[in-house]
Amino acid sequence: MEGHQRNLYLYERFNARVLGVSRDDVITLKYFANSLDLTFPLLSNVTSFLGVSVDAQVEGRAIFSRRTIIIDKKGIIRYVRDGSPEFKDILLFLKKLNQEGGKP
Amino acid sequence: MKRKSLLMFCLFLVVAWLSGCATFETEKKAVPYRLTAQGTVIWEDEFEFLPPPPDWKLLRVETGENDINFGFTRSDPGTFPSMTTFAYDEEPFGCSTKFEDREREFFKRFLFNAILQFQVLEKKKVQVLGAEGFEVTVEGKDPIKKEKVRAKVVFGKRGERIVGFYITQWRPIDGTYDLSAFEVFDRFVKSFKLLKKSFYETL
Repeated sequence: MEGHQRNLYLYERFNARVLGVSRDDVITLKYFANSLDLTFPLLSNVTSFLGVSVDAQVEGRAIFSRRTIIIDKKGIIRYVRDGSPEFKDILLFLKKLNQEGGKP
Repeated sequence: MKRKSLLMFCLFLVVAWLSGCATFETEKKAVPYRLTAQGTVIWEDEFEFLPPPPDWKLLRVETGENDINFGFTRSDPGTFPSMTTFAYDEEPFGCSTKFEDREREFFKRFLFNAILQFQVLEKKKVQVLGAEGFEVTVEGKDPIKKEKVRAKVVFGKRGERIVGFYITQWRPIDGTYDLSAFEVFDRFVKSFKLLKKSFYETL
């Protein structure tokens, strides 16, 4: 999460917004965000429908799989990676997407 | 009004309090460095620095993201945990690009698993990487384990981001620090040069 926070100025440059989704409750996420000084939104999705919608919820598990998804401005999922985020890969992909999209 | 594009970026996360922990591991394969006639080391054609004396062993810090983190360690005379380690870190704990804020963020997690009570011994502005930086010296004590550590952290700027140098020297609670190791660290930091732009500066 700290990696995303450090990269916020670059996400801004590439017209991207970041948000986290977790099955943890709001109070836990607030504590988590405070502990790492995160300023981007963390969504609490206790009922897990968001994770199910992007196949990040393994049946029978109480938590989401760790997954990074990039959705373009048309709502199309363009990037999916499991595991720890590869920040340089993400930044290069966002840069490419932003160039594809042209000026807003 | 400027229209923001709708590129959205979602992370499905598991709240893992210790995620991102670095682990120290001695590098087994050949290291990408070369020595110069001037006695400095060129590391991956990216950094140049004055290495410590030969009794210091090389360390790589495994981050899993190919960020450059390396340092040196030395076993010191005396009983456990007598040892000194110093390192260069491209991504020190925290996120802020302001030194004072980064210091606060950094010390929330620095040596967090040791559960130490830190006392700040000195804070000052310094010159590092050819610009103004910030240096903090602290001492932490663990009265339960009867251990203590003296540490110095130097924050500098690489482009828009903050990078860090730090040294930790562990001792039994009644042990004596060897400040000559800090002089080795200071020479390392003072000699450190950035030979090219970072990945983030090229975006």
